[in-house]
Amino acid sequence: MSLVEIRGLSKSFRKGDETISPLVDVDLDIEQGDFVSLMGPSGTGKSTLLNLIAGIDRPIAGTIKVAGTEVTSKSRGQLADWRAANLGYIFQTHNLIPVLTAYENVELPALLLPLSRSDRHKRVLTALEAVNLLDRANHYPRQLSGGQEQRVGIARAIVANPTIVVADEPTGSLDAETSEQIQVLLGRLNHELGMTMLLVTHDPNVASIAGRKLRLDRGRIIELPKSDSIRKIGAAG
Amino acid sequence: MLPFAPYVIKSLWRHRARTILTVSGAAVAIFVFCFVGSVQEGMDRLTNSEDAKQTLIVFQENRFCPASSRLPEDYVRRIRELPGVKEVVPIQVWTNNCRASLDIVVFNGAPPTKLRQTRDLKLLSGSWEDFGARRDAALIGKAVAQRRKLSVGDQFTIGDLSVKVAGVFASPIAAEENIIFTSLEFMQLRRGQSLAGLVTQLEVALDPNTDPDALAKTIDQTLRAGPVATTTRRKGAFQASTLADLVDLIGFAHWLGFACIGLVLSLVATTTVMSVQDRIKEHAVLQTLGLRPARVFRLVVVESVIMCTIGGLAGTTIAIAILAWSGLSVGAEGVTIAFRPSWTLASIGIGISLSVGVAAGVIPALQAARTQIVTALRA
Repeated sequence: MSLVEIRGLSKSFRKGDETISPLVDVDLDIEQGDFVSLMGPSGTGKSTLLNLIAGIDRPIAGTIKVAGTEVTSKSRGQLADWRAANLGYIFQTHNLIPVLTAYENVELPALLLPLSRSDRHKRVLTALEAVNLLDRANHYPRQLSGGQEQRVGIARAIVANPTIVVADEPTGSLDAETSEQIQVLLGRLNHELGMTMLLVTHDPNVASIAGRKLRLDRGRIIELPKSDSIRKIGAAG
Repeated sequence: MLPFAPYVIKSLWRHRARTILTVSGAAVAIFVFCFVGSVQEGMDRLTNSEDAKQTLIVFQENRFCPASSRLPEDYVRRIRELPGVKEVVPIQVWTNNCRASLDIVVFNGAPPTKLRQTRDLKLLSGSWEDFGARRDAALIGKAVAQRRKLSVGDQFTIGDLSVKVAGVFASPIAAEENIIFTSLEFMQLRRGQSLAGLVTQLEVALDPNTDPDALAKTIDQTLRAGPVATTTRRKGAFQASTLADLVDLIGFAHWLGFACIGLVLSLVATTTVMSVQDRIKEHAVLQTLGLRPARVFRLVVVESVIMCTIGGLAGTTIAIAILAWSGLSVGAEGVTIAFRPSWTLASIGIGISLSVGVAAGVIPALQAARTQIVTALRA
């Protein structure tokens, strides 16, 4: 059984008089430990699919199962609990809480888990260490660079040791050099920690760090052939 | 909720000027609410206390100001003979202001021995012996002493009356602490007056199980044939009637208290709504991270409750401190309403702050909890 099983997924919404259907009868399987990139031009429904998997949006038809749990049938509250325990979400624009330090931002999802204070502390330190930001733990977002902020966002996504990490254009707001560092970091998390990742991007270069590349075209998913050009990011870290 | 305390506190501190102004506004409104509440409590104590229900006041018929009521002192003996009467105290009243005033001074001249027997006065300084020994000696209530900065041994003059302080007393009846007691003889024979044998009113203490209203009728009927007709009422009814104009005003002030609560509600609700609207995306992020909508709701309500409670605590504390320190009172026609702090008042002030905090947070909290995550993240 796949970690993520998507069957007959459709999503449409109205925009004025027009009905837009970014996803039409989509089927997809993602295996445990996969690093999947989902490409496609802007507005093709990449982020919509990612949001549906994350349970922050609702499909009009179809089912999504993650590790055997049917996400599409849960209530808002149940979905929140499920995300706290199973899902890490990396945003394009970091979305850190400005009044909290890097440590406190990373700690937020861990506060929702049944952990002792010392276990929580260890988890936060481990996550910050994984993104090489232990020395910035007490800094506020405004005191960090864009790349550092995104690394805090990544640490926050992995602190609960989630079943799957989804990333929505995580390098979209970064310069080329910082973007490269973040790609390396994501690759390391997949290789070294075995985290299943779904990365949404419109940039083929970013998508090339993934072992499996998908393309969303007119509401349907097309699997791109594996190529030798996949970058060996694990070694680069 | 405790693990999220740093987030809540830091969120409040994010717009510190706005938070401080809101807390200050809540403090001022709760301060006014407590002050108005203390006036109402004073009025209730005055009209509904055991003393007010079980003591009768005999006044000259159709007279309302103490300066115009003159009863023969001999009425004491005639009333004392009636069944159900425990004691009768003749009182000559003088006040520096018959109209409503915040600094009214009321002198009550009564026989010192009867005063000591019938009133539960606790001397804080001075002695009963000194009070009995000098004709111009006065026992002054602690509120008057506090307000006028008087202590034992001081000589002071108000109007035509010049007295020496023989003692400062506390009383379980707060309004009594605004009274200055002298001997009846001193008041009757004060300069420029010839009131020997006359008193302003008679205070009648009843035996247990005596019906006050029936006895009041009997007293008026008994004295109808005398030189001056009387009106006898329970002390509470007498005081309420004397303060009728103030009672209306206090009734109006009651609405002012409610207006203050409404003010706090709208002030804190507005600030919380603004705070939520500033953080629509942040609440969507929190829900994406796994916070249930119900938890987001509670976080917002807690922010509102904290602002309201800090403001309420400050307002209540300042009000209670000023009430305790100032010994303020308002009075008319020789009857005073004491503004006193009380635990009940403090509890009501804090309780209302908490409740208003919850009420003010509900709508913004619902707004935050119902955030459409995807829409808010795109904002």
